[in-house]
Amino acid sequence: MGQMSAAEQQLLRRLLKGDEEAFAALYQIRHGAICRFVLHMTGRMDLAEDVTQETFLALALYGRRYDASRGSVMAFLYGIARNLVLKRMDKERPEDTAKLLDEFAGDEDVLLDLTRRESVDEVRRAVLSLPPLYREAVVLCELGDASYEDAALALGCPVGTVRSRLNRARAMLAKKLAATSLAL
Amino acid sequence: MCEERVTEALKALRRTDAGVETGPEAGIRALLAFRRQQRRRKLQRMAAVWGATGAMAAAVVLTALLWPARETPHKLIAIEAPAAIAAATVPAPVPPPEVKRVVPRREEPEEIVTPFFPLVESSSPFERGLLVRMTVPASAMRTVGLKVGDDHLSDSVQADVLVGQDDLARAIRFVSYRK
Repeated sequence: MGQMSAAEQQLLRRLLKGDEEAFAALYQIRHGAICRFVLHMTGRMDLAEDVTQETFLALALYGRRYDASRGSVMAFLYGIARNLVLKRMDKERPEDTAKLLDEFAGDEDVLLDLTRRESVDEVRRAVLSLPPLYREAVVLCELGDASYEDAALALGCPVGTVRSRLNRARAMLAKKLAATSLAL
Repeated sequence: MCEERVTEALKALRRTDAGVETGPEAGIRALLAFRRQQRRRKLQRMAAVWGATGAMAAAVVLTALLWPARETPHKLIAIEAPAAIAAATVPAPVPPPEVKRVVPRREEPEEIVTPFFPLVESSSPFERGLLVRMTVPASAMRTVGLKVGDDHLSDSVQADVLVGQDDLARAIRFVSYRK
């Protein structure tokens, strides 16, 4: 993880000098995680693609603000993506969740057992229905790869706050999913 | 619903979406956008450098024009009356006569001025201003494109500087005299 972080910092340094290869490499490594973060936060694949691109362009613009002593490049990227997502969510009213879910039901889903898929979609709906503050904690720490420290940096709050939001979010999810019979 | 079930549910969602990412065309779009962004930034940096250089050049020109300059004081020229005229007006006895100094009329030299040369571009239009007659080094004439011999660069010349309502020196013209 440390080696990865050092490699990413090196890529970021090159990217900030305008190195296209470094941009492509960092994008290749991290675009998936950012894309999933946005997808889980918004439930929209089109938005996920847009915001992923915007996140990397913003990194090229504001990457000089990155402070390696405070966390990983990934945490910094999550922070940028989070800000962009919140801006978009402010602008756009949430649409019908069922419609959103259809948007990103990929080929892989077709192969899944229908019951299981429905169950996963129930979980997805439950996550999307969480208030953003709690949703982002779950998306980063449970659905993403962020450590509590990275999540704290991305969310701009102490690690303790991340933990308490996560606990609260899990309690809300438990309540929401209690009524459904999940076949996971 | 117990803790484990929530954990299981979230893990299932995570597993299902593990392969979700933007398509390759999105990567190409991002790279092209990065290229455009870098080009734009390069142009902005160049514009900033040119802007700073221009501002420095303007400052140098203004300094050259205004720093050594001062408003020409109105010179009072005391001209002594010619001795012959003075002697003719003095009578021999007392009381002592009032001596009148007679100043011979001089022909005023003809003032020749160049057109106005703009100095700085201001965002606000010229509304009102002040024309200030100054003495400036001849080298200032070069800054507006007029020819000045190298051996005359340190000479002083008269100039009218047009100062706008915003205290910016907007234009300058040079003055010479023909006798």
